[in-house]
Amino acid sequence: MSFIILKNIVKEYGPAHALRGVSMEIQKGQWVNIMGPSGSGKSTLLNIIGGLDTPTSGEVFVEGIKINALSEDDLACFRREKTGFVFQQSHLVPYLDAVENVMLAQYFHSMADEEEAVGALTRVGLEHRLKHRPSQLSGGEQQRICIARALTNDPVLLLADEPTGNLDRENTKMILELLKKLHSEEHFTIILVTHDPFVSQWGERVLMMEDGSIKSDAPINP
Amino acid sequence: MRSGFYLFFKKSVSRRKGRIVIAALSVTLSVAMVSGIIGMTAGVGAKLGEELRAYGANIIVSPREGNYLAQDVAEKVSRIDSVRGVSGQIFGTSVFRGQPIEIIGLDIAKLKDRGWRLQGKWPQNNGEILAGTDLRSQFKIDIGAKMHLPGGDIGGDFVITGFIERGGTEDSALILDMPDAWTVTGADRQFSAVLVRAEAGRLDEVVQQIRRMIPQAEAKTFRQIAVAEESLLRKIQLLMVIVTVVILCAAVISVAATMGANVLERREEIGLMKALGATKAQINIFYRAEAILTGLTGGVAGFISGYFFTQAVSKGAFGSYVPVPFYIFFISLLFGLVISVTASYLPVRNALKYNPAVILRGE
Repeated sequence: MSFIILKNIVKEYGPAHALRGVSMEIQKGQWVNIMGPSGSGKSTLLNIIGGLDTPTSGEVFVEGIKINALSEDDLACFRREKTGFVFQQSHLVPYLDAVENVMLAQYFHSMADEEEAVGALTRVGLEHRLKHRPSQLSGGEQQRICIARALTNDPVLLLADEPTGNLDRENTKMILELLKKLHSEEHFTIILVTHDPFVSQWGERVLMMEDGSIKSDAPINP
Repeated sequence: MRSGFYLFFKKSVSRRKGRIVIAALSVTLSVAMVSGIIGMTAGVGAKLGEELRAYGANIIVSPREGNYLAQDVAEKVSRIDSVRGVSGQIFGTSVFRGQPIEIIGLDIAKLKDRGWRLQGKWPQNNGEILAGTDLRSQFKIDIGAKMHLPGGDIGGDFVITGFIERGGTEDSALILDMPDAWTVTGADRQFSAVLVRAEAGRLDEVVQQIRRMIPQAEAKTFRQIAVAEESLLRKIQLLMVIVTVVILCAAVISVAATMGANVLERREEIGLMKALGATKAQINIFYRAEAILTGLTGGVAGFISGYFFTQAVSKGAFGSYVPVPFYIFFISLLFGLVISVTASYLPVRNALKYNPAVILRGE
């Protein structure tokens, strides 16, 4: 059975159709990139897979759990137990330092543990920036905190929405190298949304979206 | 509470201390007004009771015509059944350092158990007197000061043994034992009024007897005076309840506006918490804790401010301080909590409805 199964997902915002009957499957440990122009529905699809949003109709299964049938609290539980999110704007809490930002995710999961948070930041190469606040860090470093925060609770699914959208090429490459290392060593399932062709070449599979539908689904040649 | 709560709560509060101070200040002002009003109401009520207890009497007999009653009026009244005690008083004026000064003559020995605030000693001998506390600053006199008071044929020389404070006319008068007062006022063996303590429940009967027995005297129960004061007090209390309700409503709106702005400012943070898997209850607890902190801070500060407000008003209106019951401290805390928790209810409820996907997209 596939790790993620989407069956005929429709998402409507009033009269606007964000997704028009999307169906697909993703295997465990796969790195899938979703590409497409603005408004094509790629972020909406990612949010629905991660339980941040719910479909108007259709079914979503992650690791056998039908998440579109979960209550609000069960969905929150699904997010903290199974997923890790990385956003384009890193969405770090400005008054917390790097370690505390990671500990915040641990707090909602179970309990804040400074040692584990330091370990997560060390994994992303930020052991020298532990007590810095987001405003004292570069965009690339902020995104690495965001990745550490996403990974600290050992999720099975890493969801990244334009994680390099605000970064220059050098920092983009650094983030992608980091994701590649984590993916090869720890075998996360990664779904990454991007509109950057350079970014879309990383990973194992790329979906092209247009007007709320998948137009193509192809493997990436190494 | 989960491990880490205090860390994040402390950081969040210290980051937003400006807003929290503004919210706490709104609560403080409201609680100060409310606790001040309750303190005044309770204090004035206690003060009225204290006044009546201080007299220890429930009937007053005064001359229907002229200034004085003959001494035998007191003797006649004391013979009436149901009368348990009689005490004559005399009021007059004298002059000290060229200024008129009020004289109150009474049986000083009976004052000791009536709760008058005294600085110094009770007079023991003839020629020793008490002075109202206001005279101390007016004439720059202290305990042991000697005074010559003209009056009667020759007047008299006196020594002040203490200062008394009651919040009434006594505070600006000299209190003399009866023989000394007769010397100064020249009203030998007469009284301005006779205070009578009769059995409760037979007051009207005693009043009628006094009126029949001494036609030249007017007798009234203190209850008549008390009832008039009680009626006034009730009107004041009603006004205070209305003012309290208005203040509470204004406070809730004001704190809700501050909390609303606070929540709006934290939309992204709330969206992030939800994305990280926080339940509504977990997010709720941060806001409730903030509201409780604001309420408790405002409650304590409001009680302290209200206490000083009460005393300032009381000193201005009654000339003395009123006792503020300690239970008002707990009422203040309760009001603080009610205001801040009620005010935070709607903003927090709305915050919990945010769709994280929408907020994190920056919409």
